[in-house]
Amino acid sequence: MPTGLDSLKHIVVLMMENRSFDHMLGSLKAVDSRIDGISDQLSNPDTTGASVKPQPTAEFQGQLNPDPDHHFPAVDLQIFGGDPARVANMQGFIKSYFNQRRDVEHSQKIMYYFKQSDLPVLTTLALEFAVFNRWFASIPGPTICNRAFAHYGTSFGRVDMNPFDIIEPYKSIYTRLIKATPKHTAKVYYYDTTSSTMEVANLLQNQPELFGTYKQFLSDCDKGLLPDYSFVEPNYNDHETDSGEEVANDQHPDHDIQAGELLIAEVYMRIKRNPKLWANTALLVVYDEHGGIYDHVVPPACPADKFTAPANSTGTGMEFKFDRLGVRVPAILISPWIPKNTVVDRVFDHASIPATVTKFFLGDDPQRSPREINADIFIDPPSGTVDPSRNLLSLTAMRKDCPEFDV
Amino acid sequence: MPVIKVPRPPKNAMDSNRPINALLLAQVSNLQHAERRLPLRYRSSIYTHAIKTEGEAAEYIRHVTEAIHQAHSDAEKQRAKQQRRRKPGLEIATAAARPVRKRSSKTKTKTSKSKRKKK
Repeated sequence: MPTGLDSLKHIVVLMMENRSFDHMLGSLKAVDSRIDGISDQLSNPDTTGASVKPQPTAEFQGQLNPDPDHHFPAVDLQIFGGDPARVANMQGFIKSYFNQRRDVEHSQKIMYYFKQSDLPVLTTLALEFAVFNRWFASIPGPTICNRAFAHYGTSFGRVDMNPFDIIEPYKSIYTRLIKATPKHTAKVYYYDTTSSTMEVANLLQNQPELFGTYKQFLSDCDKGLLPDYSFVEPNYNDHETDSGEEVANDQHPDHDIQAGELLIAEVYMRIKRNPKLWANTALLVVYDEHGGIYDHVVPPACPADKFTAPANSTGTGMEFKFDRLGVRVPAILISPWIPKNTVVDRVFDHASIPATVTKFFLGDDPQRSPREINADIFIDPPSGTVDPSRNLLSLTAMRKDCPEFDV
Repeated sequence: MPVIKVPRPPKNAMDSNRPINALLLAQVSNLQHAERRLPLRYRSSIYTHAIKTEGEAAEYIRHVTEAIHQAHSDAEKQRAKQQRRRKPGLEIATAAARPVRKRSSKTKTKTSKSKRKKK
């Protein structure tokens, strides 16, 4: 019997900024014990040696200032806790945040998480559709190299924020799609030109025709003109436009969390309001990295990439072979064909995005990074035999009880 | 299912004078890297080292993003213009390649006659 997978035509990814799984969705363990969130046993030592438990006292804005460090050496401390034997223990979050302001009380705020009622959009979507218990950032580092994994399946050896060059034979997921035979369509929607994109060095500079604005995304949803694959970027900065003020909605500390909630709700509702699009679209809401904020799950080791970041570029004095994932982030897959309350335990990272899109639309492509080839896919291609236990869009009839938001 | 209310951010959430964060700093730096490759006429006069706030960063980000689009759009227009210029020549070449010997011989005759008349 055909399932939702058979009617899927569009994949949309909305990638938010810098929040960990426990920080945003950790409260949901109290609602559904299958969700691997906050429990009483969790803690981190502060610099006085006191044990500090996670608290449901996160605020929408003004709390995580300065922006918690999430560059490679800081994340290394967060994961390994400064353990000389380098056993990953997730015990270094407060120590790392203390390094920035040398204020013990303030450093404990890195353990704070949101109550379920604080985030009505994200938590509702997590409980209504498929929430991933094991979606990790691709590398224990900052934004640009992590987002590179979503576009290319690799960061070409980079663990930092500097511009990087594409190294052949690897291509972006957009190039793969638009150059394929038969042709597919793909677009990156940035919020507007004043927010722009985080993939400047290659995509914007060399293929600006790939980009559209958020306004265009909304219009494309209404008109049924969405490409096969869409990647949506939030507004990264507060700015004025001719039509008024645009508040940053990327949720990057110290930007307002509620603005991001509104964005997620709007993207979801815009797809949902077009019945044809709603029936054949899967929306993935995911965060690029944890932003230095506490999470309790140790990132697993993974097969190494083809590239190695040399010791002088990691800041830890050790080279990095891209053989460990970054800290866990929130990720939710949304479609009316997904059973309510689905919890996924398989391991994913951002390389799973181009891996899934490639497999779904193009089949196999051997010219991909080792990391992407080894990454699990969250939507199986409909051709061939699909293992029912892996098919998240498994319903044979569309749900009519999906949530609505007032946006 | 009842419609879920989504709280709006408060008005004071917006602060374009907020000090620039590491992400925006990196975005500015990536854009500056791209700007250096643009022809001079597209470049901004903004000194990126003096950017301290989100509002200032936003202004620079907008300028360079639009300049990149403009530079590509201008190059595309130039390409189209050159193709249009090349087109008539191509048409003549195609016409010349057509097997229309009879007509061309008549034309030649006419031409030669007219030439003679002129003489």
